[in-house]
This record gives sequence, structure tokens and C-alpha cells, in this order.
Amino acid sequence: MPQLGESIAEATIVAFNFQAGEEVAVDQDLLEVETQKATMGVTSPCSGRLVEWSAQLQQSYAVGDTLGYVECSEEEAHRLGLDVPATPEMEHRESLPHGYSPADEATSFVRGLTGHQSSGVAPTLRGLPVPAHASGMSFLSPRLKARMAELGLHAADLAGIAGSGAAGRLTIEDFEKFLSQLDQQKLSQASSMRVAVADAMRRSWTRPLATVGMPVGIDSMLSHRKTCDPKPGPALYALRALALALGENSALAGRLIGDKIVHPRSIDVGFAVEAEDGVLVPVLRNADRTPLSELLVRYNDLVDLARRRRLPPDATGGSIATVTNFGTFGLEWATPIPLPEQTLVLGMGAGRVVPRWHAESSTFQPATEAQFTLSFDHRVLDGGGAGRLVSRIAELLNSPDIL
Amino acid sequence: MHDMFRLAEAPRPSCTAVEFPETYRRAYRWMLLARVAEEKIASLYRGGKITGGVFLGKGQEAISVATGMALRDGDIFAPLIRDQAGRLAFGESLLDFTLTYLGARSGPMRGRDGNVHRGRPKEGLLPMISHLGAMVSVVNGILMAHRFQKKENTVGAACLGEGATSTGAFHESLNQAAVEKLPLILVITNNQYAYSTPTHRQFACNDLIDKAIGYGVKGHSVDGTDLSACLEIIGGAVAAAREGEGPQLVIASNLRLAGHGEHDDAHYISQHFKELQLGRDCMEVAQNHMLAQKWADASMFDLWHRDSQSLVEEAVAHSLREPAPDPAKEDWCALASRHLLEGNPPQPTLHH
Amino acid sequence: MITYLEAIREAQRQALENDPRVYIYGQDVGAFGGAFKATKSLAQSFPGRVLDSPISEDAMVGSAIGAALQGMRPIVEMQFADFSTVGFNQIVNQAATMFWRTGLPCPITVRLPSGGTPGSGPFHSQNLEALYAHYPGLILMTPATVEDAYAMLLEAVAIDDPVIFCEHKYLYYHLKADTLPKEALPAGKARVARAGRDATVVTYSAMVHESLAAADELATEGWEIEVIDLRTIKPLDTDTVLASVARTGRILAVGEAWPWGGVTAEILARVAAEGFNLLDAPPMRINSKDTPVPYHPNLWGTHRPTARSIADSLRVLLRS
Repeated sequence: MPQLGESIAEATIVAFNFQAGEEVAVDQDLLEVETQKATMGVTSPCSGRLVEWSAQLQQSYAVGDTLGYVECSEEEAHRLGLDVPATPEMEHRESLPHGYSPADEATSFVRGLTGHQSSGVAPTLRGLPVPAHASGMSFLSPRLKARMAELGLHAADLAGIAGSGAAGRLTIEDFEKFLSQLDQQKLSQASSMRVAVADAMRRSWTRPLATVGMPVGIDSMLSHRKTCDPKPGPALYALRALALALGENSALAGRLIGDKIVHPRSIDVGFAVEAEDGVLVPVLRNADRTPLSELLVRYNDLVDLARRRRLPPDATGGSIATVTNFGTFGLEWATPIPLPEQTLVLGMGAGRVVPRWHAESSTFQPATEAQFTLSFDHRVLDGGGAGRLVSRIAELLNSPDIL
Repeated sequence: MHDMFRLAEAPRPSCTAVEFPETYRRAYRWMLLARVAEEKIASLYRGGKITGGVFLGKGQEAISVATGMALRDGDIFAPLIRDQAGRLAFGESLLDFTLTYLGARSGPMRGRDGNVHRGRPKEGLLPMISHLGAMVSVVNGILMAHRFQKKENTVGAACLGEGATSTGAFHESLNQAAVEKLPLILVITNNQYAYSTPTHRQFACNDLIDKAIGYGVKGHSVDGTDLSACLEIIGGAVAAAREGEGPQLVIASNLRLAGHGEHDDAHYISQHFKELQLGRDCMEVAQNHMLAQKWADASMFDLWHRDSQSLVEEAVAHSLREPAPDPAKEDWCALASRHLLEGNPPQPTLHH
Repeated sequence: MITYLEAIREAQRQALENDPRVYIYGQDVGAFGGAFKATKSLAQSFPGRVLDSPISEDAMVGSAIGAALQGMRPIVEMQFADFSTVGFNQIVNQAATMFWRTGLPCPITVRLPSGGTPGSGPFHSQNLEALYAHYPGLILMTPATVEDAYAMLLEAVAIDDPVIFCEHKYLYYHLKADTLPKEALPAGKARVARAGRDATVVTYSAMVHESLAAADELATEGWEIEVIDLRTIKPLDTDTVLASVARTGRILAVGEAWPWGGVTAEILARVAAEGFNLLDAPPMRINSKDTPVPYHPNLWGTHRPTARSIADSLRVLLRS
């Protein structure tokens, strides 16, 4: 179908002048088509035999569509200059945008126009998601961001600098002054582990974190432990108790994305292992479905691998909560920070023998307790939920046989 | 290659002394070649081989060829859309016609402009821009430059349709030529329609020739369907300009025998024109005249027709084989001063 | 002392003297010497080469194009930039496309007396550089100093492409210099009119002087403002602009023309696209108000940027 006018996109076939099998001459009108402007003939490219029509009467065809075929001799094709490809290959195609063809562009634009169905216009932008005006302490100018990227810095690194810009924002001048002063102080290189942990903690802190704490009696757990060989560490008991509690209600370890809570797929719980200059967190998968004795074997393997810095990639990551035992450092109480992809972290302090009031005998009795603290993303959990989780863990730890 | 496509004959004589029948036969052969070539292009258009517009000069060949033949080397010619015959007579190669229409990059416009928007300014043939009337002042400027350069005896011819006489550019240019007393010949073909617009919606004066008085120039009217009259009167106007008589306004009357472009079927053309003298086909009129004068016979017409056809076929076949422009190879540069292209470092200037 | 207008006249005198291909064509340029006397006494000194044209901007430019094709170097004087739109078609559709379409250069120079003066009103005040810059194939010059008015007009005539030379009418007699230069920066190179540290003002033509006055005012408040004079707006010296923004981190583009699609819009687009990470504050621009240029001096006084309004904009930019 030829282009019969500048804005014409298609035409309708109103008559065939020849039938398949008939002989036709070059420049003869083979069929008649109708556009919005006029009715015209479409000519034969050569003399020869009309092989067939692939188009139908009274149908519309787009510019460029094949309507039929005429067969001619090689001499005829050469004489008329038809023995070259219709669109010669362009050299240096790789310098054109991928897949670019000028003809394609024209037709797809036309198709876009003719295919468009409009059924009312819906706005695509409902107000601006971020303020358009550049001021305020949280605004980092493009130049500042570029410099920070260049130096591998984050907003957290700049927390200590006072800004002289509008509403206290940090200007590039403030920044460059700060950097030049840095050079005058003692500097040492941070290890890559340190930098990695710094990054994880910084990202985690972007959420509102809160902590609840409770003293948990661990005498039952300690007695049970004496009956085992090998002996599971206290952290493993806590991990198993946490896993069972989460198995009962996994929403507590869910993640908030927008207005949706993403539920965990499986109860995979990590535990903190101190490695030189940082912390590694190997993970026990499906810890809710695996009894303590079985967990112990895997736990010991992972601790060993971690200490030798030989953890395989699939042994870390993907945990929904972590347990950390800082009691081993003598700490009774701390507020750990969950990993950036986690909502919860359970911390255990050192066990202490403390006097507990015994109502029946009206005396103080010795009991071994450890402070358990649960830090959590306060967008997902409130104090009540957190508190109930810690209570359930305490409860489970007091019946160590079911762990 | 280009020389093959000029009807190989000696330099065009001036038409102040019209040497019939030789001149007449030569004129007819240019007209015939133009007619045959345009028919082929129209067929290629309706065969999907041409992108963009196709504009035919069917019915205007006598006026156009008379203008082209009256010009000499060193003269300037600004043809418009229906001047295929005049272009050939002036010396434009048939290949320029086919290469440009078929979009070959070896054509004179290199794919940057197409169809009738072509020319070779160094050879005096100006490539039109689409705004009607705009070419006339360019011809004026070249004639002014000839004056500065003391080039004598040159003239400039510009062709327009009656529709173009409504533009401000036409007015300014003819007025300027008259004020500067330039040797300009303005050939207005009144073919009764500007696209679909009839003349009573184009101008209110009784006859376009009346405008000559208003501009202070000499006017000539001619029956555009009669080749003899065209050769004599247009030739005479060119001679008068060359003699220093100032701008010459020629009004030639005929009927447009095709659509405005090949996308237009001209259904609006009033049938009554076909019955008038100006509705005649100038090719038929010329053939009848040559037969009557015994300057040619049917077998010669036949031979000339077949010659024209084979010339056209060869030009088309050659042009179809030529490669199209390659966007990756284009320099995409609109400035002659490459150092002033944005992104290129500026060069120091030369100062006294 | 030599004025900006006399510098233009001297450049034309030299062009006529040194190059027989040059001629001048415009309304009243002959014996009368031009509406602003830019060609005073040139017709007498160069008989037949400084010609009075009819009031036909289309034919003035069209004939210049033809003469240029035939090897001449015409200078067309438009009486006011505002009237050049009658010849717009020839400038943008014939002159600007000639080289690209035919390979033949079109070395015309069109002089546009531009910009406002008190009481000049809507049709004797326009700044049309952005309109012409939009079309490929044209060079746009906007000299701000006496020296550049001279040197750049000489270069315009020498350039093989069509040059639109936007001379500022207010500067004609208000701006004076001691002598004319022997050399100058080439077309396409911007000039640092004033070196600074805290913010960059990019501007051209008369606004260079308003910007320098604003910079002086801010210097008393402890700010050092860098002022860039573009000189040629097409091609636009993006490198110099970006280098300045790299030093200061802040940009104010100032133009006397209207805001939409103007030179200031082009500057900011380039800085945002190519120098985004150089910016410490959002890029800013100041232009005339988006109305036709008013006649009454009271209205005209606030319609376009002034040293005062430029200084105020700078204070906002410096504090953001």
C-alpha cells in the first residue's frame, strides 16, 4: 500500500482490475484504493504475471502492507532497477540506538495514534512526594551528594557538622571546611568489616527502634543444660525459644513495606558471633521445626566456621531475627540493633544469682536470672506485642524439654 | 553519467530569433521528456516507491520550456513545482529529477530536501523553499551582485503560479526589482487553481496583467497552451530584460491538467474550463501544429516517445540502485564554519 | 572616546574598505546615515555600496541571500529588531537552511538594533536572539562592550554562515571606551567580566552592565559575584559557564528577553543537565516580565531586570 498523501495512514480497496494468473504491464493500475482525500490506482512495479492477491476487497490496509505479488523475469527486474533490496542495509548499525529503524519509528508512531483509546484522563501525579524547595537540615545539594559519593560518605558521617545554609542545611562550603580540618587530626584506616557493619547499622537506624526488657529465670534452662552432652550454649536455648514463639505468631517478625506487612517465609533465626573487629551472624534455618539437639550440631559447625572466617554465603543472610548473647562480656543489659532487614533482635545479659521474693514463705530465695532485651522496629510492633513475645520466650525457657 | 541524460544538443540559442522548426522540435522534445518522466514518477508514487509529495507540470510544459530555452549560461533560473520541462531545457540532468524523488543520497540535495525542492545554485538553478514568492528576491540579489561584479547581459527568471501573487514576498520582490531596475523576468502561470482555490478567491483585479502598471514594469500576456506564442512572447520578454528594459511580468494562461499533487484527484476543477482554449493540452496543440507544418509526423512522435521512455527508465533504474542516506554517516552539521558548531572548541579570529 | 555605536560604524567602514564584496542594505542607511547613524557618511565614502532599501524586510534578506550565493558579503541593517520578523521566513527558512540543503554557504550579516530604551514601547524594544537561535544554521552575536561591538561585527562579516548581530540600542550612546582593540576573543568564547567566588551570574548584552553594578553592591556586603558575558549566544560557551559554576556552586542567569524558551532557559537547562553535581543551590534565572514591553518609563523600569532586582535575586540565591 503506497503512501498516498502526507497524513494518510491507510486506504480501503474498492476494486481489483486484474485477477490472479493474468499478465500485467509495468505502470498499469492493478487495483483502486480510496483514502480520505481521493480514490486512486496503485500501479504494478513490473511487467509479468500477477501471482495472487493477499488483500481483500472493501478491507482497509495500512501504508506499507503487502497487497499482492507480481512475478517477473530477472531481466525485467534488472532493467527496472528492482533487483536491489527495498531498504538497503545501513552500515555502522551499531552506532544507532538498539533496534532503531526509521521506518519502524514512523509506523509505530502512527499505530500509537490510531490505536489509542481514550476513556477519560486520570492524573498521574497526586501532589509531590517530596518537598520541591531546597532548604532544611535534611537537604543535601547535588554538589554535596556528588562529593559525598566521591569520598564514600553518608549523612551519618556528617552528623557532627553544623550547617550554615538556610534552616541550618549543610552547604558545600561547610563540608569542604570540615574535610580540611579532618586532615589535621590523627587518622587510621577502618577495616572493610568495620565499614560493612557501619553501613548495616546506619541503614537499620533509619527505622524507629525501641527496646523492652525483662528479667528471665534461667534455672530450669541451666539444669536441663547439665543433662546434655555436648552442652548447648544459652544463646541456643534462647534462639530455639524465640523460634518456637515466632512459629506460633510469625507476624511479629514481619517487615513493614508501605502499608503492607510482609510475613516471613520460614523461621530462620541468626545468632551473633564475634569475629575480629566485627560481628558475623550465621543463620539456623527453620529453627521452629528443628529440636534443640539437632540444632546444636549445626550451631557448633557454624560457630567454628565463623571463627575461622569460612562461612559459606548461604549460611548468612535471610534471617528474620537474631539472638545476641552479650552476657559473655559481663554485660547485664544492652539495647542491640536489629539487622537492617530484620524487625527483631533478642539480647541476653549475663546470668546473676539474685534474691527473689517468695510469697508463700515470705522470704527471699536465690534464683538465677538474666536480663532479656528485645529491640524492635516500632512501626511493626508495639510495647505490648514485644512484651508478650518476651514473656512467651521466658515461658518456653522454663520448660526446656519441649525445646 | 549526467551527460547521458541531457538531450545531447549544442548550447541553447537565445529566442530573440526563433528558428522554427528546429527550435520548435527541440522545445517539443523537452516537453515530451518532461511529460513522460513525470508520468513514470506518478506511477512510482502509486506503486509505493516514493516518500513525500509528487507534483506534476502537466499542461504547463509549453510555458516552462519557453522560459528555460530563453535563458543562457550565466543566467539565473528559479523554477517552481511544475517546471520539469523548463529545468531540462535550462540544462538540469534528468538524473537530478529521479535521484531526488527516489531519495538517493547521491542526488543534488543528498536526501536533505526532496522532490521539486532541488537545484544547483552554482550553476544558476536555484533550489526552491516551500514559501511561495520567496525565491524572487533571491534572484534579485544575484542580479544585484552581478551588477557589483560588472557581469553584464545576464538575466534572472522566476516562475510562480497565480496563487503566489497573493503573497507579501511576491509583492516585495517585484517592487524591489522595479526600484532597482533589475533584469528580472517573472513568469506567472495562471492555471486557474491554486490547490483547490479558484482565481476569484485569489485576486480581485480583472486580469493579473493589470498589476504590471501598479509595479511600474512591462507586462506580457500569452496563451500558455500555444508553444509558438510562448516561445515568441516569453523569449521576447527575456530579450527585453536583457536589453536593460527593467523587470518583465509575463502572465501565461492555461489549465492545470493534474491534481495539485499526486495525492489529490482534482475533483473540484470545473469542467467548463476543459471546453475553453486555455483548457487544451499544450502537447496536443504542439503535435497538431508540427503535423500541419510538416515539421514532424506520427512515426517521429512515436520514436521520440520511445526514446524518452528508455531515457526515463534508465534514469529510474539507476536511481533505484543508488543507496539511501545513512543517518550514521551524516555529519548533521548545519554550519559551514565547523569551528562554531557547539561542542567544538572556538578558533582564534583573524584580525588586521 | 568612542561609543558603542561609533564602534559599529567603524567596523562597517573597515569592512567596506578592505573587502570589495561587502555592501550595506537597509532603510535610510544611505545619505541619511541610518536611523541611529550607524552608517553615517559611509554612503559618501563608498558610493554605490551603501544602499537605501524599500520597506521590505523579506526582500531585503532574500536579496542578500541571493547576493551572498553569488559571492558578495552583504550586511543588512534592520531598522529595529522588532521589524525583522517581517523577514523572519527568509532568515530562518532560506538563509539558515541554505548550507545544509545545498552545501553552499550563505555569508550574510543581519544587524538587529535590539533592547529597550525609556519610552521605546512594545515594537521598538524587543530582544529576539532566542527566536533565531532556535533555528539550526544561524550564528547569534550579542556584544556587550564597545570593543566587542567592533571586533565581533568584523568577525561576523568574515564568517561564512548567516550571522544575526544583536546590537543593544541603549548601549549605542551610553557606553564609551577609550580605544578600539587590536585583538579579541573569538566568536563562541565567553568572557569573565568579573571574577568571583560565591555565585555566578551568566548574562549578555546590556544586562552585563546591570549585573556588574549588582555585583558591586553585593561586594559591600561581603559577597564576591562572578559575572560571565556570553558575547555569542549561539554557539553558547557552555564550558566557561560550567567552569564558573564549578568554582562557585551557584548560578543566576540574567536576560532582558522574555522567560519562556529564552537564553536563560537554555543556560539553566545545560547547567542542570551537564553540571548537576556542581550545584549547591537550585539554578535561578531572572528575565523580563512575561508581557509585551510597556511604553511608560515607570512600567518599563520594572519590566526588565535592573541592578537592583539582580542584586535582590542574588541575595536569595546566596542564602538558599
